[in-house]
Amino acid sequence: MNNLLVIENIHTYIEQFHILEGVSLEVPQGSIVVLLGRNGAGKTTTLKSILGLRPPRQGKVIFEDREIQGMQPHLIAQLGIGYVPEHRAIFRDLTVEENLKIAERQKHDLDKRSDFIFNVFPDLKRLIKLPAGNLSGGQQQMLAIARALVPENSLLLIDEPSEGLAPVLIEEVMDAVRQLSARTTILLVEQNFSMASQLAERYFIIESGRSVKNGLMPDLIDDQETINAYLGAA
Amino acid sequence: MKKLWQNNRSLIIALIIFLGAFAAITQSMEAKVWASILLSGITLASLYFLVASGLSLIFGLMDVLNFAHGSIFVLGAYVGLSTYANPRLLFNTLPFFLSLGAGITLARSFGVPFWRLKRTQNKPQWFFWGLIALSLVLITLSLREFPIRAINAFGVTAVGGIVSTAEAQEPMGTMLLRSALLFISGLPFGIALAPREDYQEGSRRNPGRVLLTALILLILGLAILLLRDPGEKFMLGLSVDLRFVLALVLGSLAGALLGAAVEIVLIRPFYGNPVTQLVLTLGLLIALTDVIEGVWGEEGHPPMTPPSLFTEPCRSESLFSWFGEKCRSIDVLGRAFPSYRVFIIFLGILVFSAVGVLLRRSRIGMIIRAGVQDSEMVQVLGINVRRVFTLVFALGSGLAALGGVIAAPFLGVYPAMGGIFQLQAFIAVVIGGMGSYPGAAVGTLILGIARAFGDHFVASGIELPFLETTLRGSPALAKASTVLIMAIVLLVKPAGIFGKKE
Amino acid sequence: MTSSTTNIEDAPLKKAWPQWWPYLAVLAFLILFPFLAGLTIGDPSAVEPGAGWLTAVAQRTESGYAKFWQGMLIQIFIWGIFALSYDLLLGFTGILSFGHAMFFGTGAYAVAILIDKHVSWPLGWALAAVILISLMQSIIFGVLSLRVKGVYLAMVTLAFAEMFFILSEAGDFRKYTGADDGLHGFPVPDYLSAADHRTRFYYLALIFFVIVFLAARRLVNSPPGRVMIATRDNEHRATTIGFDTFRYKLIAFVAAGVFAGLAGALSALYNVSITPALLSTDRTIDVLAMTIIGGVGTLVGPITGAVIVQLLGYWLERWFGSSWTLIYGIIFMLIVVFLPYGIIGTLRARSLRLKEGWGRWLKLLGIKSEGDAAFASHTEMDNGDQPPGQS
Repeated sequence: MNNLLVIENIHTYIEQFHILEGVSLEVPQGSIVVLLGRNGAGKTTTLKSILGLRPPRQGKVIFEDREIQGMQPHLIAQLGIGYVPEHRAIFRDLTVEENLKIAERQKHDLDKRSDFIFNVFPDLKRLIKLPAGNLSGGQQQMLAIARALVPENSLLLIDEPSEGLAPVLIEEVMDAVRQLSARTTILLVEQNFSMASQLAERYFIIESGRSVKNGLMPDLIDDQETINAYLGAA
Repeated sequence: MKKLWQNNRSLIIALIIFLGAFAAITQSMEAKVWASILLSGITLASLYFLVASGLSLIFGLMDVLNFAHGSIFVLGAYVGLSTYANPRLLFNTLPFFLSLGAGITLARSFGVPFWRLKRTQNKPQWFFWGLIALSLVLITLSLREFPIRAINAFGVTAVGGIVSTAEAQEPMGTMLLRSALLFISGLPFGIALAPREDYQEGSRRNPGRVLLTALILLILGLAILLLRDPGEKFMLGLSVDLRFVLALVLGSLAGALLGAAVEIVLIRPFYGNPVTQLVLTLGLLIALTDVIEGVWGEEGHPPMTPPSLFTEPCRSESLFSWFGEKCRSIDVLGRAFPSYRVFIIFLGILVFSAVGVLLRRSRIGMIIRAGVQDSEMVQVLGINVRRVFTLVFALGSGLAALGGVIAAPFLGVYPAMGGIFQLQAFIAVVIGGMGSYPGAAVGTLILGIARAFGDHFVASGIELPFLETTLRGSPALAKASTVLIMAIVLLVKPAGIFGKKE
Repeated sequence: MTSSTTNIEDAPLKKAWPQWWPYLAVLAFLILFPFLAGLTIGDPSAVEPGAGWLTAVAQRTESGYAKFWQGMLIQIFIWGIFALSYDLLLGFTGILSFGHAMFFGTGAYAVAILIDKHVSWPLGWALAAVILISLMQSIIFGVLSLRVKGVYLAMVTLAFAEMFFILSEAGDFRKYTGADDGLHGFPVPDYLSAADHRTRFYYLALIFFVIVFLAARRLVNSPPGRVMIATRDNEHRATTIGFDTFRYKLIAFVAAGVFAGLAGALSALYNVSITPALLSTDRTIDVLAMTIIGGVGTLVGPITGAVIVQLLGYWLERWFGSSWTLIYGIIFMLIVVFLPYGIIGTLRARSLRLKEGWGRWLKLLGIKSEGDAAFASHTEMDNGDQPPGQS
């Protein structure tokens, strides 16, 4: 299978703290891959290492057969990597429309893709002139995902989309992610195992900054031992 | 209605308090008196705003508290003053900057292969600063014993008498040598600034275009140098108004360029380390104050003559008739108000609206507003935030310098005014809420008006309502009033009027 | 450090010696300095003919360069105390104040006004009053300004100090303060005159300096000091554990205020003159520069900084004349860039602990950065909340 993104044994530090001590993973083209692990295992840091926000000191990040570690974040993003951060980090002072417009990499990106976006998130169309800070939690999450869809991205990194959302809304977000997967490859970080297991095809588990296990999702669902060892009580 | 109340509660309360205080103070005054005091206050507020808005934007976007902002204000004022009154200073120094700039431009483009050669992954910091230090040493050498004071000894106000242009200027050969040396000094600086890796900068710039830019800068410098004598005559022959406009442009341009340079050299290597940045701006403040005093002297200049639009000795009936009559003052409810101050107010409003429109309507403004909240997120959307940072730093510094130039005919120019304006701008920004653009406007307005009324009470006392006595304040009280207002605002609302809750 | 304190109890002198001898060596040098200086750089012509050996040395210490360098050291003691007090705020509690000159200047003004002709209190009363005044002042302004944090606090303190600066310049109190001229030649008791009895003043300043140093050391090692440091490292955590961090920040603010006030009083007595410049923001910037140059979060650092800034100022002014501040500014920037933890701090930065403390301190003052979860998990492991300065 052709891998869109490959991470080879990266080591990342925050100040002098060794946060990632050897994380490796592969994301095949066109799939949904989920990154699992306990709180503080280094999942978000892994995403930030890919994006160049926390550049790894060792190891390689290969995107579309090109080494991207050490590049500046905005240049990495321009290669076609979209990011949906945790805590729904949308720009609260900007309107919904501006939140989408700011993500444009070329003129009229939004016009070109607005049909698709508003098809997936019909709510946003109604709220387009509102300041994003006035949106509800679920709507903000939709907006954060929609923002990553505005430019032509071949890979989406989505961090904890279900966090702090009501079960009904989680369903909605899952629906949206499923619809996206038809178009782009997705690397998902998720604590909610039932959501992760329904969406993803492959999984990678990291523990204390190290890759410990990976495989196909159906195998993991049956493997209660692994779940207890690395994800239980989370 | 309820929503309006919720969103702007603090602003509305502040407004009510402000209007209440205003009504209480003015009820014993004649309308013409308080109107002209109010206008004076808005004049001051306009000047404060030009300094405070940049300070607030820079803090909001980059978390940098720029202590050198006031120095840039003074620098702008002096550059404007020199353009206006002593153009030979420009003709004798501009070539230096241009050749330095040419050297930097050239080396910045061709420094990329150099860094690739070094591949110094571990210690690029030392190398970087070493190159900068080398450049500074070379600059010092090439400017040794440059007769800057003689060149500045121009108008009647010059201490130690006037030095004629022929005497003050150095011979052409020496000037050319200095320019050449400065070109060389720019080279290590440019290499230091060059991106470490090709791909880090995205697509490479066209080397031909870089060469052309450097060449144009050099030729421009040379032309200014060769034409310095006729040039000076030409500048002095220009109309006063034209020279004033030129002063505004060159003054703010100097501020903006300095701001950009400061951001690139001092601020950029230390993002994520706000205390280092703050301390570095303190060091810059110390050094820059000395440079300004060294070049223009410590003694200060009296207010320069305003352009002819504001000098006819008469009093216009209204704003409209003033355009034709060009009077020195305008009639406000029967009292004369200097027309130049009306111009300052006008310019303040103009800048406020222009920057406001820039922030609200343009893409760059959108990026700035988003970056104030979360600049890292803006970056991962594929936007080169660092370039926006430099731009905002340049914009803020340019506005401060513009404030300096327009303050010059009103308040004069002296080195200490930077500190005064910076303090007022700090206070205004704290009152309004750090990082908030409308907050800076409201804060400066409150400060300016409070200050104007404070000064009035010092001069003529206040008749307390319902009491027979007249309370007379001291000048200290007027000065301290702004600090008191800030203390009160902060006690009630620690983040300022427009500040966001943490 | 934790283990070494327990060891001290086992074998007091033997174990304490390696830790204390640098301090004692410096102290011995400072005690002997007037004599050494008198013998070497004192002016031999100042000795009256027929004076005994001891009198001759005493007379030489009161002359020429010996007298000058004692004066320099007195200035260093004064600024060292001032910088030390500033570091209690900045380095040990994480409070960035831009109004510290307020305390220094108020102390100087208080002692000068109280012993001057309009009040003419005895010196002892005046000094007691200085302590009382700076105590009240720091409590009032501490309560007011500690409501806010970070740069807001910096600006609030800046503005409060500016208020005192304006007061000192105000013409309304010219009779007492001398307005913008300041006061000069107020009646400092003869036995304490730095002009006539330089060596006596030197020892007084030295004793005072040592007392303040030990007091500050005691404070940062005491339980409240630990809480101050915990507040600096992570105020949220300190609050969660159950400490009322406001109270401990106020303790630091008051201690720093009183020390600074006393340093100011000493400065007024030494110079026999006060001007509004003592209250200006420039003085705070000076003391901030000393602390940063020497090393934030250490006790020795700010004192080292005071030594360096004083000597640097003296020599730069001799070599470069009036444009020395330009050179000073550039040197200051270079130190900040190359020695990010200051001189003493960088010497000690090999230990991870200091870097950690520094990083957390930055975080507290400035802007929280990412990876807080990871950060917290690491800080959990480090249980000894001790000052990085105590190695």
